[in-house]
Amino acid sequence: MKLEALQGINSEVRALGAQVVVLTPELERYTRALHKKLNLTFDMLTDLHLKTAEQFRLVFTLPDYLRDLYKPFGNAPDRFHDEPECRLPIPARYVVDKQGIIRAADVNADYTIHPEPSETLKQLRMLTGSLAALNLRA
Amino acid sequence: MASLQSRLDEFKKAFESGAPPYNAEHEAIEKMHRATAELKASGTEQQALKIGDRAPSFTLFNQDHVQVSSSDLLRQGPLVISFFRGHW
Repeated sequence: MKLEALQGINSEVRALGAQVVVLTPELERYTRALHKKLNLTFDMLTDLHLKTAEQFRLVFTLPDYLRDLYKPFGNAPDRFHDEPECRLPIPARYVVDKQGIIRAADVNADYTIHPEPSETLKQLRMLTGSLAALNLRA
Repeated sequence: MASLQSRLDEFKKAFESGAPPYNAEHEAIEKMHRATAELKASGTEQQALKIGDRAPSFTLFNQDHVQVSSSDLLRQGPLVISFFRGHW
């Protein structure tokens, strides 16, 4: 649902000169399958062992009592992420400007709450608008 | 199209009703709520990088096993980075 929502704004994101990337701990064989299934036009990147999520300080460990719950699915984090310790990223969406500075950040420990893609578009418009203004002045 | 959050809310309601097709057990739902509350209380959210911080650079493989680097992408324009826990 969340990937489809990003896909829904991707052409507008591209029109603004920006790009979307999704980072997931899932192994490449799963990103490949999902990318194809959902006909995504942005890249899904495998953040193996959450190295990048760690740098964004987004990693948490799934508690034992939840691991047991996911066991019927074949211990999902281990199987899909090669992550036997069941670490996961907190859902997050960032907008980063050309200089590499974070200009918008939505981080929510409750994975049932997500920012609207239209908000992200708004943030990008402000960013590219202000960049255009700067260029005009220069 | 309905907003993403309203569709997520609808899914959550259907899931937590315990009815088919999900048939979620009450106990399982309780555990999920507990885990979310504990994660909220843990302060992990507050530790995450924020507006004004420099985004760490990365070079990772995409779905076609092509290496993609954030510095290459940023040369072309702003970047939306979404962290996704998985499809399961």
